[in-house]
Amino acid sequence: MPNDPSPEMMAAIRLWSGVECPNAAAARGLEDFPALMAEFEALRGTLVFEDEPSSFEAALRAEQEKQA
Amino acid sequence: MTDLAMLSVTEAADAFAKGEASAEAMVRASLARIDAHDGQVNSVIRLDREAALEAAAAQDKARAAGAKPGPLTGVPMMHKDMYYRAGRVSTCGSKIRRDFRPTKTATVLERLDAAGAIDMGTLNMAEFAQNPTGHNAHFGDCHNPWNLPYCTGGSSSGSGAGVAARFFAAALGSDTGGSIRLPASICGVTGIKGTQTRVSRSGVMPLSFSMDNVGPLTRTARDAARIMTVISGQDPLDATSAPEPVPDYEAALTGDLRGVGVAVPREWFFDGADEVVVKGFEAALDALKARGATVTWVSCPALRAIGTYVAVVSRVEAATIHANWMREHPGDYAIHLSGRLYGGYAIPGTHYLEALSRRGPLLRQFCREAFAGHHIVATPTLRMRVPTLAETSIDANADNWARHMAISSNTRPFNYLGIPTVSIPCGFDDRGLPIGLQLSARPFAEGRALQAADAFQRETDWHARVPAL
Repeated sequence: MPNDPSPEMMAAIRLWSGVECPNAAAARGLEDFPALMAEFEALRGTLVFEDEPSSFEAALRAEQEKQA
Repeated sequence: MTDLAMLSVTEAADAFAKGEASAEAMVRASLARIDAHDGQVNSVIRLDREAALEAAAAQDKARAAGAKPGPLTGVPMMHKDMYYRAGRVSTCGSKIRRDFRPTKTATVLERLDAAGAIDMGTLNMAEFAQNPTGHNAHFGDCHNPWNLPYCTGGSSSGSGAGVAARFFAAALGSDTGGSIRLPASICGVTGIKGTQTRVSRSGVMPLSFSMDNVGPLTRTARDAARIMTVISGQDPLDATSAPEPVPDYEAALTGDLRGVGVAVPREWFFDGADEVVVKGFEAALDALKARGATVTWVSCPALRAIGTYVAVVSRVEAATIHANWMREHPGDYAIHLSGRLYGGYAIPGTHYLEALSRRGPLLRQFCREAFAGHHIVATPTLRMRVPTLAETSIDANADNWARHMAISSNTRPFNYLGIPTVSIPCGFDDRGLPIGLQLSARPFAEGRALQAADAFQRETDWHARVPAL
């Protein structure tokens, strides 16, 4: 990964979504992304094939407080 | 006689029901307080003065004719300007929708109308509900009634500030990453987001279809319980709304926490927390214990993954919803908002789906870690002392990104988890700004969270304090 991936991300956003970088603050916001990428990298392997498809709504129902 | 603007939701409804106060008198008291003080606070976008007085007069007339009042009859309310009422402009706090007139009315407004609440108009908010501070470049920033240069919290800024200032008894907010609980905490009021799917979102401006929630900001947990009982429940107009039956939440408010276990996660919520916030939180735990609760510190390793994934879901969904406007007139957004939306287009679809796919398993893991043997998870709502508007303005200084984003660190995880969470005031910091206590319960256990919040408010008087304006 490049030290500053912002130019590549801006190019990908333009290519995929047709959106231009609107201002300096937007460019600044992209500077957080290497940290986010590192967090995802640390979670690799926790999503296993058998988890899919998973239902969040089913988990909501299953995890209700049991009546005393 | 008591200033009627000081009445809570339940006090106002009860006063009307007993014939001790007319609806018109209560609306006039609210209008007078708004006229006197909102010039400083800037919580109101649109005040429907005449319509509110007409509605109140009609209620008074109906009562005189023997009509039975509803649970909210005569109660003055205003709502975040993103709840659609057919034919009325709903700006969503934006320039883009400054003239938007929806053709349908939000289900939650219809339910409040049916319960007798009086809708006096619409409230300031973060543009498209997308900042945690209360900045608004189009309608002006909302100011904290406790100390005007400080943030109100967002995105339901006018809802928090207006309830705190006693402009009206309650307001709807919305919560995708903390937008009810943050202004509740920062303005010193009560706010609840229910279980994901608990309250209909039909006729409500979308931000993140996976994590948007509707809920009230009020002065007390009892008020929140009454409103949640009115607005919760399945809605045929919202296919995502849950069919689970809705109890009478007020019936659970016993003030007794004997047998109630409170868990406090060691991870995440105290990272870099200000000392004054931690001390206020620890004192709040003592108040819960005084009501009979047992408090246990627990380990929740799931929070690291939750903290990562939650940062992705709402960002991608918001970017998706706003894509056309971001292409066609990005300059109509405030700087901080277009900047925030822009990053959403950089996140790969596989990562977004990974975050969504892990949501159910992580909810189950969190429940095992936090709720085994416990009924409530308690955390500070905000890790830091309340910041000023100036020190969190990205529009003024892009260096403020990190401080701006850190505000919602403690609220966002509960949107990803989808569990009911209430914020109540639990003290003041060394600058006289409120500190918030966040109480979460298992899915669909809104009553449990409100029970703990109400018990806390019977033990303390933080919620009863009124800012000097």
